[in-house]
Amino acid sequence: MILLVLLLGLLVGVLVGLFGIGGGIVLVPAMVYLLGMDQHVAQGTSLFILLPPVGLGALREYWKGGQVDLKAGTLCAGGILLGGYVGGLIAVPLGSRELKGLFGCFLMIGAVLLWRKHGEKNETTSHKRDNMNG
Amino acid sequence: MADARARNAGIFLAACICGIASGLFGIGGGILLVPFLVLLFSFEQHRAQGTSLIALIPPTGALAFFAYARAGDVSWRTGLLLIPGVFFGGLVGARLAERLRPRRMRLLFTVLMFLLGLWQTVSAFRR
Repeated sequence: MILLVLLLGLLVGVLVGLFGIGGGIVLVPAMVYLLGMDQHVAQGTSLFILLPPVGLGALREYWKGGQVDLKAGTLCAGGILLGGYVGGLIAVPLGSRELKGLFGCFLMIGAVLLWRKHGEKNETTSHKRDNMNG
Repeated sequence: MADARARNAGIFLAACICGIASGLFGIGGGILLVPFLVLLFSFEQHRAQGTSLIALIPPTGALAFFAYARAGDVSWRTGLLLIPGVFFGGLVGARLAERLRPRRMRLLFTVLMFLLGLWQTVSAFRR
């Protein structure tokens, strides 16, 4: 059981580094379905996991490549902090079923967004890669 | 000058929306932040991902987390066990992102995420 949880964390981490996301979007469904957690507890635990800078290792790699906009990042951190408070206030009184349904819809929207950015931006990335090789 | 200020305000507003999703769904917010930066503010893909990662370094979810902790909605043990994995996995993932074009992986991940979302929605509204 402990081994399963440790492995799960590692797998989620790979996605964190690969896509520049926090990992909560994978952690929450994984804890609900693999570990049988309640929706609220899974979301609270996910926020707990994201308190320490778990993305720091991944960030180091992007930083070395000069792929970080420090100013925009700072602005975003402030916005997420404030917005997060509002979101938490909305989520806690909701029923577990309603929250689960909402999260499901959000996952689908997230999937579509991830797909769109992939379709549109893949060209630029491969172009840059060619430049680096050539 | 005014343009830069408007752009900064826009980025901040977009981040506020990501924050609401973050608190509401117990996630980091990067899943919205990365496409926002790319689609609305024309960031290059790798740069958007790096910027999203630095935005998530400070404990941005802290205020949301307190709301959940007060309600007793946190499993501390599982959380502690997951933290080291996410950290080291993140290192591996970032190296992979620099090396391979994660096209196929992203397709797989997207489809999986969509199906999971569909499953959650259906199971929540059935019964």
